[in-house]
Amino acid sequence: MNKVDLVDFVDWSGVECLNQNSSHSLPNALKQGYREDDGLNLESDADEQLLINIPFTQVVKLYSVVVKGPEEEGPKTVKLFSNKEHMGFSNVNEFPPSDTAILSPDNLKEKPVVLKYVKFQNVRSLTIFIEDNQSGSDITKVQKIALFGTTVETTDMKGLKKIEDH
Amino acid sequence: MVLEATMICIDNSEWMRNGDYSPCRFQAQADAVNLICGAKTQSNPENTVGILTMAGRGVRVLTTPTTDLGKILACMHDVEMGGEMNMAAGIQVAQLALKHRQNKNQQQRIIVFAGSPVKYDKRVLEVIGKTLKKNSVALDIVNFGEEDGRKPEKLEALLSAVNNNDSSHIVHIPPGPNALSDVLISTPVLNGEGGGSDLPAAAGGNDFDFGVDPNLDPELALALRVSMEEERARQEAAAKRAAEESARQEKVEEPSSNSQDATMVDSADDRASEASGNNTDPVAITLSMQTPGHNDPSVHDVDMSEATHEEEELAIALQMSMKDESDMSKVLEDQSFVSSVLASLPGVDPNDPSVKDLLASLQGQSESEQKKKEDEPPNDEK
Repeated sequence: MNKVDLVDFVDWSGVECLNQNSSHSLPNALKQGYREDDGLNLESDADEQLLINIPFTQVVKLYSVVVKGPEEEGPKTVKLFSNKEHMGFSNVNEFPPSDTAILSPDNLKEKPVVLKYVKFQNVRSLTIFIEDNQSGSDITKVQKIALFGTTVETTDMKGLKKIEDH
Repeated sequence: MVLEATMICIDNSEWMRNGDYSPCRFQAQADAVNLICGAKTQSNPENTVGILTMAGRGVRVLTTPTTDLGKILACMHDVEMGGEMNMAAGIQVAQLALKHRQNKNQQQRIIVFAGSPVKYDKRVLEVIGKTLKKNSVALDIVNFGEEDGRKPEKLEALLSAVNNNDSSHIVHIPPGPNALSDVLISTPVLNGEGGGSDLPAAAGGNDFDFGVDPNLDPELALALRVSMEEERARQEAAAKRAAEESARQEKVEEPSSNSQDATMVDSADDRASEASGNNTDPVAITLSMQTPGHNDPSVHDVDMSEATHEEEELAIALQMSMKDESDMSKVLEDQSFVSSVLASLPGVDPNDPSVKDLLASLQGQSESEQKKKEDEPPNDEK
């Protein structure tokens, strides 16, 4: 099956981001249209860490992730947690992440990070913990977050055909 | 109507024995806490409130966030004064209590009563503030009691570290004749972002919010306060309807009498005044007419005139708040106005006589009218 951009399957009512700057918020990096604009960033507020929770409208399999950011303030260490909602900064390091990625400057230029596929077979919600940034500055900036994968087989209602009466 | 979990941090240190707020700082604080709990649970029934004490033997959580007001009031009884306030630990424990709340969809808020001197450095407070902001916890600070030079500055620094989009507030309450809780009513601590509805805004013209000195009649004041809290929730819709009505009807009661609602004795009068254009309830009209005549801050005039109508007022207030239909019969039948009002309400059958009566008496509250309309016809049918 082809990998698709999972932005269509994001459940926007449950999307949350801790420690974001309210004028530079998550939709700037996640929503279609906003994320293409490099001037619109997600920025951190009190310090450089960010904790993002993205629930999906259906169960998905995650294949790869693209995190685009500026060279200096872009994220460096990114931990991904599958199906762990309601974490806070104090307990995020108590759970082992489903995957960890140390972003290189190439990644920040939209080279996708391929994930451990087996860990992301059954994802209802994804939590992204951005632990630090490239230059160690106080603010982390993210221009784009894109998730690629596939949906788990679900019934296509249009394909259902009425059984003919005998 | 934000869904919120609140932790209230109470200062029960030795400094709270001081009598500069009557009867003593601690009692004034306790009243304020009760008021806040009531307001929070009123504004959204799923809101939870918890209490912890900061002084005594150490920070102690009295109740974790709960919707049960009775439990909260019971806990307040057992609190003893002593020791020194430990604000930093108090806030951190409050944060932890909020983190483990049952309903994770609730916004987190901490309300701190800072009555004794703050012994912490500004920097320590700023770090605490930043941690709160990072975990999206809002903070309200009530600065009262001890006033030493550095305290307001430290608390302001804490507030600016926490503040995110004006969701956090600080209130400074100097000692004075007004009760701590009365001053709090008009602040954003109780009113959230709105900054106050009609009642608190107009209360500036009168020393007592309800026009009744609590010393003269504490029971009446309490009954009024309770019915005012209930009324608060309906104010928005009510104000909108009142504006429409007073524009339509040019009667004796000018809009100023509407704004003087805050000085009116009770919610019954609020409703009566708002519906004054349509209401020939003699007692209500007399009261409304008296208020403009007693606009000056001299409470005593209001007291005297209202003392004579106290019994009737209280009866009407209680009855109206209980929505007892039998008393509505004395309310106006201004047919032309009523029918125009009814026509503007969606989903109402104007031909039902009980609906007519009810709506006439409860004008100004489209929400409660609709509820009533649903309640009453089934009641009648029983």
